[in-house]
Formats: sequence, C-alpha cells, structure tokens
Amino acid sequence: MTADATHSPLDEPDRLVLHARDVQFDWSRSDLHWIPNEPFATHVINVLHLLLPEGERWFVEVFKQAVPHITDDRLREDVLGFIGQEAVHAEAHAGVLDHMDAHGLDPTPYVEQIAWLFRIVLGDRDLPPGRAQSWLSTRLAIIAGIEHYTAVLGQWVLDAKELDAAGADETMLDLLRWHGAEEVEHRAVAHDLYTHIDGGRTRRTVAMAVAAGALTTLWVRGVRFLIANDPYLKGRIDGRRPKASWALRDGRRGLIPHVGRLARAVPEYLRRGYHPSHHGSTAQAVAYLALSPAARAAESAERAATRKAAP
Amino acid sequence: MTDPLRPDDADLPSGVKHSAEYYARPRPPVSLFGGRGPDRYMYGLGALANRLVPVLGGLGPGHPPLPPSPGLRARVERVTRPVPDVAEIVLVPELPEGPLPAWQPGHHVDVVLDPDTVRQYSLCGDPGDRSRYRIAVRRIPDGVGSSRLHALEPGDVIGLRGPRNAFPFARAERYLFVAGGIGVTPILPMVAHAHRAGVPFRVVYTGRSRASMPFLDELPEGADVTVRPDDEYGTPDADAIVRDPAPGTAVYVCGPPPLIAAVRARVGPENPVFSERFSPAPVVDGREFEIRLGEDGPVVTVPADETALDVIRRVRPQTPYSCRQGFCGACRVGLLRGNPEHRDRPTGGSPRGEEFALCVSRAAEGAHIVVDL
Repeated sequence: MTADATHSPLDEPDRLVLHARDVQFDWSRSDLHWIPNEPFATHVINVLHLLLPEGERWFVEVFKQAVPHITDDRLREDVLGFIGQEAVHAEAHAGVLDHMDAHGLDPTPYVEQIAWLFRIVLGDRDLPPGRAQSWLSTRLAIIAGIEHYTAVLGQWVLDAKELDAAGADETMLDLLRWHGAEEVEHRAVAHDLYTHIDGGRTRRTVAMAVAAGALTTLWVRGVRFLIANDPYLKGRIDGRRPKASWALRDGRRGLIPHVGRLARAVPEYLRRGYHPSHHGSTAQAVAYLALSPAARAAESAERAATRKAAP
Repeated sequence: MTDPLRPDDADLPSGVKHSAEYYARPRPPVSLFGGRGPDRYMYGLGALANRLVPVLGGLGPGHPPLPPSPGLRARVERVTRPVPDVAEIVLVPELPEGPLPAWQPGHHVDVVLDPDTVRQYSLCGDPGDRSRYRIAVRRIPDGVGSSRLHALEPGDVIGLRGPRNAFPFARAERYLFVAGGIGVTPILPMVAHAHRAGVPFRVVYTGRSRASMPFLDELPEGADVTVRPDDEYGTPDADAIVRDPAPGTAVYVCGPPPLIAAVRARVGPENPVFSERFSPAPVVDGREFEIRLGEDGPVVTVPADETALDVIRRVRPQTPYSCRQGFCGACRVGLLRGNPEHRDRPTGGSPRGEEFALCVSRAAEGAHIVVDL
C-alpha cells in the first residue's frame, strides 16, 4: 500500500510533537543472514547499517548548527525532536555494525570511507562568513534530499509484508520499522528547514542530483563489499558472483525496495509543489510505533523513571 | 586495529565499538576491493564536492532571513465549573481576524502565562468549530499554573502556542478509550469522532467519585460507555478495564500515571497502545552548582530543582537539545574544567570526562564547572 492519496484528517495525524525513543536491541539471537536463505537481499538492506551511523551523526551536527538560524518556534521544536531521533538511529545501527563484526564481518573499511565522506568532505570548512552560511545551506539541501529517500524507504519497510513472509529476524524487522516509522513521522522536517533557511531551487536540485547519484553507487559498492567480506559467502552466493539483475529480481519479490521506486523518488522530489507530507502515511507510522516492541519497552522504562522521580 | 590513531577496543565507551569516537579521525580512503592504493571512486566524490562548493557557495539564499513567527493570543470567553475543582475555559481569538488554527482529536495547546509558566492542556471542544478552543483544568494543590488558570475571568487575554500533537489519533478498526479523571479531556473529541464515523468503540472512564468526574454528560448516549468511580468499584483494575481487546483494537489511555502504566502493561503485543507524552522527569537529588559558559563566559547558577539546560536556555536560547533525559546526546558540550556528576547514558560518542550532558548531568553542592559553550 502506498499512501499517496488524499487523506481525511483521521488518516493523517498532523502537527506531531517529535521525540526520541530510547530503544535497545539485543542481537544475541540474530543471525548474520537475517532473511533466511536470502543472503543477497539481506546484504542489500545491510548497506543501510553501513551508511546510517556516520550519515545520521553528520545530520545531527549540521542541524545543531542550523538551530540558531531558525526564527519559527514550531520548526525549532521539530528540528530539536528530529536531532534526538537521528542521534538514536545512528547508535542503533552502530549496534548492528558491532553485531556484524562479532560474526566475522568487520565493516570498518567501508564505514571509515563513509566517515571520511561525511566528516572531511562534507564536514566544516574554513570559509568566510557569507560562504559559511552558503555551505550550511548546501548541507541542509543534501540532508533534505536524502530525507526524501529515507521516508520512501521507511514507508517501504512498513509496507513490506514479504519480509515477514520470508521469516526475517523479528528484532531486525523491529529496528528497521521503528526507524522507518520515525523517518515517516519526521519526513517534513529537513525539507521545511531548508525551505525556511534558504529555499533556493538551484542548490536543492544540484544537491539532490549529487546525493541520489552518490547513494546509488555507494549502495552498489556496499553490497559488493559485504558479499566479498562475508565469512560464509566469500564473494559468492550459490557458487555465483552477484549480479545486478538480482536486485531487480529481489525487488520484484518485495524483499528489497524496487529500483524503479527509488529512481522515481528524484523527479518526485524535484517537481514543483513537492511537499513530503504528500508521500507516505503518518497514521501507519504512529500505529507501528504504538506496536513496536522496542518503542514500547523504551516508553515503559521512561514512564517508570518519571514515576520514580515524581515527588 | 593497528592504527595508532585509533583507541584500543578496551578504551571505547559504553561497549560500542563502531561508535562516533571510533570513526572520529577517518583515514583517506584506500581501495575497498584489493590493493592498497587510493580508492578512486571516493576520491572522485571528494573532488566533485570540492568543485561544487565554490559554485554553490556563490549562490545567495533563496529568500532573505524570515522574521520571527507571531504568537497566538486568545481571549477568555467563558469560565465554568462542571465539577468543583475543574475549570472549563473557552477561548476565542483576541482579535476577530479569522479562524483559529485547525486541530485534531489528541492535540494540545501550550498556555503561556508568562515565559516561565507554560502549561499544556488538551483541546476538548469540537474540532469543526474553528472560532473557539475549549480546555479544562483541574486545580492542583499548590500548582502555580492551574491556580492562575482558575483565576481567569471572561475578557482576560492569554498567550497560546500550538496546537501540537503528542497523542496522535489514527484510524483503527475499533477503539478502546480509557480515561482517568481530568484525563478525559483528549479522549472526548476522539470518542465523538469515532461515534460520528460509526467506528466501534468502548469507553471506560474512571475517577474518584461521580461528583469529581467532569463531562460525564458528554459521553454519547447508547454507546458502550462504562463509568467506573473508585468509590463504587475500588481502585482501577487493568484486567477489568482492558479485558481482551479484539484484534485491530487500538487502545487510547489518558489519566494518572499509575493508570497509564497498568493499562499499557496489560495490552498485548498485537494491539497498538497510545498514551500522551509528558514533560521529562523532575530533578532528583539535585544540589545547587555553578557553570561557566566558556573560559571567559558568564557564570550561571543551577538551582537544586532545575537542570543546567533549563538555566542555560534562558541565557542562550539557541542551545541545541532534544530528549532531555540523557540518552540522545544532543546537548552534550565539551567539558573544560571541573568534576561533574555524569547522569547521562551516552549511546556511543565521546568518552567520559570530555563532555557534559546539560539536560541531566550535575555537580556537587557549590561546585564550579566550565563547559565549552
């Protein structure tokens, strides 16, 4: 189900107060190949774990720099909520990196490249004030573009019944869906922030074009890296080297996002009148967050701590 | 790891290896797929960025900086007392300039009595009526905010922020609504909506006694409504309230914290359960201490019952923060000097001793710490 149709108010709760959830995941009972007998699809999704910790840590740093420039109270609240959610996402995925490492797949070489990209190439630069403001805007435009992708992916994983049918690991599905639901929940924030601070179309278009191109190649490289370094696969699945056509096959089977859906995200984002609220379902996101074992455990712990502290 | 720039695994914080600290000083990319040479693709991306930075840097902003958003001001139209210690307050726009912002069941407004006295109240009127808001306030003994709201009279003007939604009301096949006392306020518009839309629902409304429970007459007649005052039924029993909700039932609960905890614990994993968000835990075992904001910056005093973040935000309103419970790390700042009492639970990131989490961490009585802010 995609939720691009018009909604009655009940279908789309709006003006949500965004808040971070202090989730914990226990990987001790999860397999490296968490979609049984589907190592290719597993690693296609695993690339997210390689990209997100350093990517989302960078989002947090850039957004913190933007906070003093916000003149709208509601947007500032949204941005502060977004920062906390992204910070927790980054560390939750970092936990999966430790889990991979414990299974003999050390992700460091790939993730260190991603760290270099975000911390050095896209990090703070020594620039005069006017240029520094412009560099902040450019980075906000890149985040807004990537956030369209994370919202599309979030909606995909909320909808992906095929993963349940394939017997995917429940803890991993909860991590992906909790994260996906929060991405859908806060999908407008990066767009609204860029629009508020700058709003220029040229910068936004260039940023999305570069971000989409880079994400595509980084994803392909990530799959190659994981399959090559997987101690059980050693570069081959059923004796064969992985092929690009497998991505189309597993996309059709619903085990990974379909390439066509991902490609469509670019024109969709660049269309005039685009707003993230037109894509994805907040109702579905909040309904998942009200079911998610990790989010519910976090909320119970938080409520217990508050009750203990109350006078 | 053989790189001397990297910390040994044993020195890494909180047991997470692939932490922010681990990747803090990334080396230039070497080839991922055999060989020790530079990674051409990554260098290419870096070169592309270096070419784009000056081009995009020359672009001016799409629009000039925006002026601050105006606040919302409302005039008290009517104050009534449906039960002795509850004030029902109807608010209209201060100036008759058009409708109030739209809202949905579950939304609340911030009532700004003064910059330090902001209270949240659920909207409990009719979302279809954009000319007025209704809130209901139970008087809390010694409560500053509730007594000031109880003292309001028609014609008084107050500041509002919002509406915002910390209790999202989403479509479900059927609902179970559980309200405790004044917690009935966000539930009323939800019940009205479900009733109008013909979605099956059940309501359980608890309270001390019928005489203390407001809006009993506003629950729809003929619907599945159970009124369960403690003086007739004893203290609320989650088993009796929740029973076994049918699949597809979404549970919405609002009321005293023990009721919420009991209902949440009783609802099984297959039924979504919603309860309203609240402000973070109060400070426990706090002592007064001082923080200097930068080596040459001002000194602020953090009272025993406030957090460093509360105090610093009055001086530096733009200080970033998020969870206010010490887990997300958004408000961590560099620690320059002093011996803090760390109360955060860092999820990776900087090792202990180099940073200070403004939202929860403190220091000993009268201690003085210096942070990089």
